[in-house]
This record gives sequence, C-alpha cells and structure tokens, in this order.
Amino acid sequence: MSLKKRFKIIFTISNKELIDYVRDWRTLLAVVLVPLLMFPTIFFVLPIVMQSELDERQSLNLEVLIETNQNSSEFEFLTIEFSDNLLNYSIIDLNTDVEFNDTSIIMKDIKNSKISSVLRLSYDLNSSIWNYYIIYDSTQESSGEAYLRISNALSKWEDNLTSERINDAGLNEEAILNPLQPEESIQGDIATAAEQAGFVFSFIIPLFVSIWTATSGVQPSIDITAGERERGTLESLLCAPCSRLELLLGKWLAVTCIVAVSIILQLAGLVFAISFIMSGNLLQPPELSIFSILLFLLAVSVFGIMVVALEMALAMRSRSVKEAGSILGPMMLFFFLPAIFAQFINLESIELFWFAVPAVNVLLAMRELLQNEIYFIHVFVWVFSSLIYAAAASWYASRQFLREDLVESLS
Amino acid sequence: MGQLLLSVKNVTKTFGTLNALEDFSIDIEKGAVIGLVGSNGAGKTTLLRLLCGLYRPNLGNVVFVKDGNEKNIDKFREAVGVLPESTGLYHRLTAWENIRYHSRLHGVPDSISWERTLRFSKALSMSDDLMRHTRGFSRGMRQKTALLRALAHGPEILLLDEPTAGLDVTSARLVRKLVHQLKEEGGTVIYSTHNLSEAEKVCDRIIILHNGQLRFDGSNEDLLLETETKSLEDAYVKLTSDDARIKEKEETEGWFAKKWRHLFTRKINYTATMEDE
Repeated sequence: MSLKKRFKIIFTISNKELIDYVRDWRTLLAVVLVPLLMFPTIFFVLPIVMQSELDERQSLNLEVLIETNQNSSEFEFLTIEFSDNLLNYSIIDLNTDVEFNDTSIIMKDIKNSKISSVLRLSYDLNSSIWNYYIIYDSTQESSGEAYLRISNALSKWEDNLTSERINDAGLNEEAILNPLQPEESIQGDIATAAEQAGFVFSFIIPLFVSIWTATSGVQPSIDITAGERERGTLESLLCAPCSRLELLLGKWLAVTCIVAVSIILQLAGLVFAISFIMSGNLLQPPELSIFSILLFLLAVSVFGIMVVALEMALAMRSRSVKEAGSILGPMMLFFFLPAIFAQFINLESIELFWFAVPAVNVLLAMRELLQNEIYFIHVFVWVFSSLIYAAAASWYASRQFLREDLVESLS
Repeated sequence: MGQLLLSVKNVTKTFGTLNALEDFSIDIEKGAVIGLVGSNGAGKTTLLRLLCGLYRPNLGNVVFVKDGNEKNIDKFREAVGVLPESTGLYHRLTAWENIRYHSRLHGVPDSISWERTLRFSKALSMSDDLMRHTRGFSRGMRQKTALLRALAHGPEILLLDEPTAGLDVTSARLVRKLVHQLKEEGGTVIYSTHNLSEAEKVCDRIIILHNGQLRFDGSNEDLLLETETKSLEDAYVKLTSDDARIKEKEETEGWFAKKWRHLFTRKINYTATMEDE
C-alpha cells in the first residue's frame, strides 16, 4: 500500500474519532470550556471571592475579655485601638490564683463562642514591662480573627509606648528605632518585570500543563479503546483492511489533537488572565524568544506523545471502560508526582541526569524555557531521552493493538 | 464447481485448554451461499474471525485465492464485508456516516458507496433512516445498518454472523431476500446461524460445526441422505449427539487410545455410582 493511502486511512480514522468525540456535549465541557475558563476563573473570581470573605470577616463585631491587674486608664491607647477595630471588650480583674498561661478556666467560653478571645495583661512595676497572654481557638474563624486584631492593636500600642519612653528619656526616636534605612522601598533588583514573571510562571505553567496533558487524555483514550471494545465496535473496525499500526496512529492522532486543543485553550486562558485581568498588577507576560517558544511546544508535544501512547496502551489492555478507569486513575500519580517533584529541583547548577529522567526532564525543560534560558546540552538530553520514551510508549501501545483478545475469545 | 475463493486448511485454534476449532478444513467457491450451522460455542464465530484475520490459527492456515494466486489472509480483508455478532455501530454517528467510514477504510469513494448503500437500503426498507443517528435505532435497524455497512464497499465475499438474530419476522425476511439477491448477482456469502430452517431457506451448502469439529459439509439433500433422516433438524441432532461423536471417535482412534478411554470412562462411572450411593 502506498504511503499516501496509509496516511489517508490514518486521517480517516482520526477524523471519525474526532467527530464521534466532539458530538458529545460533555466533551465540549471538558476539552473546551474547562481549560479555557480555568485560569481566568482562578485569577479573576478567586481574588474577588477571597476579598469578599475577608471584608465580611473584618466587619464582624467580636467580643473579647481583658483580664488585668491594672486600671483601664493605664492602657487607654489599647482600648481605643480595640474599639476602632470592632472589638467589644469587657475588663475584669486578673485572677492571681490562676497561672498566667492557664487556659482551662476560659476555654469553655471560647469553644461555645460566648467570647472570641481573652487578653491577659499584667504590669510589672519593677521592670516596667507589660506581660500579655492571648487565649484563642485557631480552629474558629471568629476567634482567629480576634487574635489577629488583638495582636495588631498590641503591636501599635508597643510602638506608641516605645516612642513615649524614648522621648521621655530625651533621645532621638528616629535614630534609635531606625538606625538603618533603605534608600528606596524597592531595592535594586536587576531582573526585569518580564524576567520575574518568567521565573514565577516557570513554577506554575509546567505543573498545570503536565497535569492537564495527563488528565485530558484519559477520557478520550478510554473511550476510543476500551470503550470501543465494550460497545462492540472494535471487531468490525479490526475487520477493515487497515493495519493495527494505522489504527493505533489514527486513534493516537485523534487523542493528541484533543489534548493539544485542550492545552492550547488552557494557555490562551492563562495569557488572557495575565494580559487583561492581571495587567499592571502582579505579573506581566514573560518575554520569550521564538526559539524558546518552539522548544516549549516541542517539550509539550513529546510529553503528550508519551502520555497519550501510554494511556491508550493501558486502556487497550483493559476489557471494559470501568477497568480502564481504575487503571488509569491511579496511574495519574506517575505524572503528578514528577510534576510536583520537578518544582523543587534547583535549576542553577543542575545535574545533567535530571534531563533524562522520564516526565521530570520535560518539566524541567519547560521551567528553563519559561525563564528564556536555553542550554544546548540540556536541550539535547531532554529531546533525545523524551523521544526515546515517546517511541517506547508508542511501541508498547502498538503491541497492545496486536493482541488477539481485543475481540472476545469465544462466541 | 465454482472458482476457489478461500481455503481453510487443517486449522486448529485453541484458547488455553479449549479447542475452539480442531483440524478444520473447508474450501469456499465463488458464488456459493454457505450456511455455517452449529449451536452456541460450536466454533462458528471463531471460524469467521479466523477468516477475517482477527485470530491466527495455532495450526494450519487460511488462504485467499485471487486471480488464481494464493494470497495472505490479510489481503482477504480488502475483499470481505463483515457483519459481526455485535453490530458495532457508533451511536453518535448517523447510519450513513457509519457506512461511509468503513467504505473509506476500504478505499472506496463516497459516491460509489453512497450509490450502493441507496440500492441496498431500498431492499432493506431503510432509505429514510440513513441520515439518522443510530443512537435511537432498534435492534433490527442496527442490524440492517451493519449489513449495509458490510455491503457498501462492494465486497467479493460477505461474512454474516447471525444476521437475523433478534430481528422481527419482516426484517428477517428482508435480510434473507437480500442474501438471495446477492446470490443471484453472483456474490459469495458465508451465513452463520444456529437456525437450521433458516440455513435451509437461504443456503445451497451447509457446514455443521460441533464442539469445534466439522460434522458435515454438503447440500441439504446430502445431509438427509447421509444421516438417513427426514428432516434437517433430525439430521443435525443425529450428527451432533454425543453417541454420534463417540461412535465416530471409536472408528478413528487407535488401539491404545481406545483402551485408555474405556479405562477412564469406567473410572468416571464408578465414581458417579459411589456418589449416588
């Protein structure tokens, strides 16, 4: 058979698989909408939700108790701060029979949310030092919030007391408190905003791309292998005059297209989120050379080839969709763990062998490329090793397509 | 006798310890409509899958003859139309898209397969449903669509695995009528069924398979003559009963095998008697 005919068969198979897959509305949701909206949602909706939750928490009036051995006029500054920060306080005498850090007596009232927090405050005349102890419950949001507000108020009071005492002693407050002062609040970072963005994104993008590549390939891989087997469509297809390799390539091409579309949309969503939602705020788009971008796409492609081939091979080994799901689900860990692991590897003075470790190599390559750094020896090792892994995974997948038991063994 | 199209030579196919086909040989000539008859598990589907190249024989070989030359069975897939036991339709595609997909894999242009599909769909009363998605199809419509798919690329030989299973009377009749039409046009059909009366209506040659072995190969008349029975049903029962099998075995097996079998049978009988007591 001529090469042209073979390609025609491969494209016929992949075309049909794509049509069949796209006609399922769940596919559009999983392949188009979710990846497209993921980053805009994370960058846009999440901060809004977090801010509104924070505002809500900060507007709460909280009941607190001050236990002290001093008259309230001695710590008037603190009580004013409490009032300004919506802390409704009551003052009682400090029980000297109880240890200063004993929480047992007051614990019940905090647990029952009767009060949010307790501030124990005692003044030592000999040393002129105020001792304090805050009792709160870190597992209750209101109590945690009260703790934060009390801590802030105490900090301001401490600053105020320090200034007063320095001035009373006739000293220069500025010279005592700030003997070292920066010329500007932002120091002389020679990295450009784009380089800083590249550094930050080198941690985020490879992680998302690898996880998304692995997860977005699972469902189509199962559907067009174990799914076909379960639905009984595979037998008639295997009777067609095409080789198992052509069949594999056609199906693999379809899954790769689906994964590629999914990743491209996800990256488009990310670029949109950075360019429009985050512009002028925290991050700017990283500046990458054309060569870096091309190598980045190559890294994603070889990673995709390997992942999709492996997923298809394992799905093909399974007798049913359920079985394939239970195999491919845990297998995701083999992609997630390297993805997380690669985040902790220091790229400076990195050992060369890391660029030959499966999955980790591509993730490290993506990190380097997003920082616009190209070391040809690294590129050579990860491209060469990745191609070997991708070829091995494809060979394994093609072996699975030759199995006789793809159709039931007996009538 | 027609031109030889397919030759199955001493094929044995095993799955683990089970012999699905045992030293099986047949020749299939062009223009024949052959009924492959046997009960469930007789080996019919295994034979059809061997013919399609889905299975490889453990022993023996299957040869496809084209223009007088023997070809590898893989070449046979280009010339065959298959209706498998499960119709195997993609339910998110229309009937025509299912048909067109397979025709394209056979390298047949859409215009030709569409023309053939239209012609046969009229015979099967399915013309109006070709553009419908197969998701909502009844069992009969799925079966007919799968049949159209097998025919659309113009196969030299058609392999039908239980083509009327689950069909209503009218649909089954349409399928049989279509097979007759193909026969008149000189087509070759292998028609697998466990229904003898159906095989009698459709086929001019019957092959009876039982436990992976060839029990009979010939015309309906020959079957009645050979078994000295008056109906095909009686003939089938006679050929596939255990007595017939033992008798046949006794005739063919050697002295040592005979002794060994007697010893083994006696032991089983003895054990069974002990358990009864």
